[in-house]
Amino acid sequence: MSIDDAIRLTEILMGFAFAQQSIEHFVSKGGERYMFIFRFILAVLLIVGFQTTGVLVILLLLALEILNRFQGPYNGGADRMSLLILSCLCLAQLSPTQYWKEIAFGYLALQLVLSYFISGFVKVVNPEWRNGQALCDVFLFSVYPASESLRNWANWPRLLFFMSWGVMLFELLFPISLISSTSLYIALIIAASFHLSNVFMLGLNRFFWIWISAYPSILWFQQRIFATT
Amino acid sequence: MLHILKLLIPALVPSWNFFDVITPSPRIQFALYGLNDEITIEWQEYRHRPTHLTLFQMIGRMLWNAKWNESMFIIGCAERLMVNPTLHSENEILNRMINDFTNKTSDIDLNNATHLQFRLLVVERQGSELHQNITYYSRIKKLPTWKIT
Repeated sequence: MSIDDAIRLTEILMGFAFAQQSIEHFVSKGGERYMFIFRFILAVLLIVGFQTTGVLVILLLLALEILNRFQGPYNGGADRMSLLILSCLCLAQLSPTQYWKEIAFGYLALQLVLSYFISGFVKVVNPEWRNGQALCDVFLFSVYPASESLRNWANWPRLLFFMSWGVMLFELLFPISLISSTSLYIALIIAASFHLSNVFMLGLNRFFWIWISAYPSILWFQQRIFATT
Repeated sequence: MLHILKLLIPALVPSWNFFDVITPSPRIQFALYGLNDEITIEWQEYRHRPTHLTLFQMIGRMLWNAKWNESMFIIGCAERLMVNPTLHSENEILNRMINDFTNKTSDIDLNNATHLQFRLLVVERQGSELHQNITYYSRIKKLPTWKIT
């Protein structure tokens, strides 16, 4: 995949993710609703490829206004990833040379790898994750389970112990998948399935769409770094 | 400008420490105060999560999960209030409560209510038991009179 194709695919996927996020605000009150209607229109323009560089810059300015409006991210990590992808795309499109374009887009790929690896590392150093108690607590009393019936999962500590280790090992080993395009595709399918399970269990739908948007960057990055060595 | 930069930097250089520690979890409760002088404060949980979700509902939430994501934002505001109370976070919670109650998107009956207050409970595990502590009371806010029945 060429860098231009990867950037374009990222724009389309991110545009779709932004449109989905924006539609959820159409039922909000006043200024918030209008801000996200505007964002939705920009997302559609990005998907169809109309004046993409200009649209990206306006989307970034709007993202800063949204950040200011909510005094931080509206949706935690999903909003942070949205801002990261948007910033990297802006920098890549505005880069004066191919070298800086690759640096900007490569930074996104690097952060995507780190998003899995660091998440795994901070868990594995915590004894409560290693013995499965942390995941029990997620279901037992955290705000995340999408329904009351899911709290019953806390009664299955053995299952949650294996799930904890499954998540930690996958996240820690994710960087190794870069050694070949086949292993990377398999890792990304597993990662997407992980995000999908988080939609079903924790209601984190925005994470699913926005993380997938960053996948073209790592597919390009893998070819750029490992296929040429 | 500096303030926006402070908000932007965690996105450009993320920490990625998702769920590293399962911290004490906030719950939001509200009370409505009526026209009568009777002091009978009844605290109710704000935004119950559904008892059960069908597979069809879970799939639907892939594309439309507005209420849940708004609830997560409200919880985020509650977490901010526990660490660094600001008028912005308190207003976000109060205004979204009023919006819910007056637009009949919840089953709360305003009856003769004139004022609203919320409080934050923190749930945490101590040993094998769950404990709740009240950590914050909001100011008492007047409800919009044009909506009171």
